[in-house]
Amino acid sequence: MTINGRRVSIDADPSESLAYVLRERLRLTGTKISCDVQVCGACTVLVDGLPVSSCTYLAYEARGREVLTVEGLAHTDGALDPLQRAFIEDNAFQCGYCTGGMLLAAHAYLADEQDGDSGENVFEALAGNICRCTGYVPIVAAVLRVRDG
Amino acid sequence: MQPFELLQPRTLEDALDRLADDEEARPLAGGTALVVLMKHALLRPERLVNLKRIPALQGIDWSSETGLRIGALTTIREVEQHQAVRTWFPALAEACHVVANVRIRNLATLGGNLAHADYQSDPPAMLIALGARVRIRSVSGEREEPLETFLVSGYQTTLEPGELVTDILVPPPTAGRRMQYLKFTTRSAEDRPCVGVAVSLGLEGTACRDLRVVVGAVSSTPVRVAEGEELATGKVLTPDLIDEIAGRAASAVDPIGDVRGSPEYKRRLVQVLVRRSLLGSVTEVSA
Repeated sequence: MTINGRRVSIDADPSESLAYVLRERLRLTGTKISCDVQVCGACTVLVDGLPVSSCTYLAYEARGREVLTVEGLAHTDGALDPLQRAFIEDNAFQCGYCTGGMLLAAHAYLADEQDGDSGENVFEALAGNICRCTGYVPIVAAVLRVRDG
Repeated sequence: MQPFELLQPRTLEDALDRLADDEEARPLAGGTALVVLMKHALLRPERLVNLKRIPALQGIDWSSETGLRIGALTTIREVEQHQAVRTWFPALAEACHVVANVRIRNLATLGGNLAHADYQSDPPAMLIALGARVRIRSVSGEREEPLETFLVSGYQTTLEPGELVTDILVPPPTAGRRMQYLKFTTRSAEDRPCVGVAVSLGLEGTACRDLRVVVGAVSSTPVRVAEGEELATGKVLTPDLIDEIAGRAASAVDPIGDVRGSPEYKRRLVQVLVRRSLLGSVTEVSA
């Protein structure tokens, strides 16, 4: 599979989740596991551009696909993605555990908006990503600021 | 999760062959329900037959004569965003749009949703209101069945071992048909429904020609409010008549009490939501 633009070859058992492979085999620990049953959104990654819960997504299903994790958001020269900068400027995180998933869900939402076919608003797009400390106001503000330039 | 063997058939025939006479094998569609059950060791299949790489199970076709054909492996998100679904069946697009969260909708499939038969789900009630049927295949042949009878109870369908849902068929809507799906949640916004109400209304002038009212998520299968549907036939849906139909709906259901609400609470909600959805459909007419 391709992870953050890099082709990776892994020998994994079919029962291994993508989150497990990312964290334990590839040491990409920006992907967090919290509820482990696809409710909280902490483990959100993009597979071929679509947000999925990597905690229950079988790693095997990612074969031949492109996976984007939070480690792949920043540009190759190290410059942060506009969303990451907006999250910092708006204090859109506190403990940070949900942030990786939040950023990727927002990233997919903004891509959909650019294509003009999301058919939903920012609240719906982020409804499945749960934050237990910052609250959602600064998170939504940061996403909208990037969306509206 | 207990290790298992993952089979990757490329054709429907190959998948059916592998599922026939193998009680240790389970079909894998989106995996959003199955993988969670396996993680909790509620199911321990030795083999999974992955259906995702089978082209015959994919895609949505629309024709004004035969209606919609939705391949069983079509994701909920694909249904929700499909142009023909949005145009001809806006309430079906809505019933799919309100399922769980976007990550689940990106993976969960419509066929998997129906075959899993979780009663706390949105699409089944709407599909029954629209008169949907399921097409089913096994090595020994093909059959079709109304979704209404396909769903037998919570997590139970008429599927026999070795059978797969291959398509969901929705007849074309009659001209000017009104439809609504209303979901009510009592916990977070993206929670499973506490109550879901699906309405499909055909009109003759301002009078009701035919009506379907289906209450989802309160009983082990979606409940059709047959008495209320008959009351409406041939009549103008006045607020008084709508009140009466809503009352019949509340009597027709036998709600399951759970963390989302007590039976009494759900029964009251059914009445409110049926009234609200019918008033909404009628208002749409005069608009």
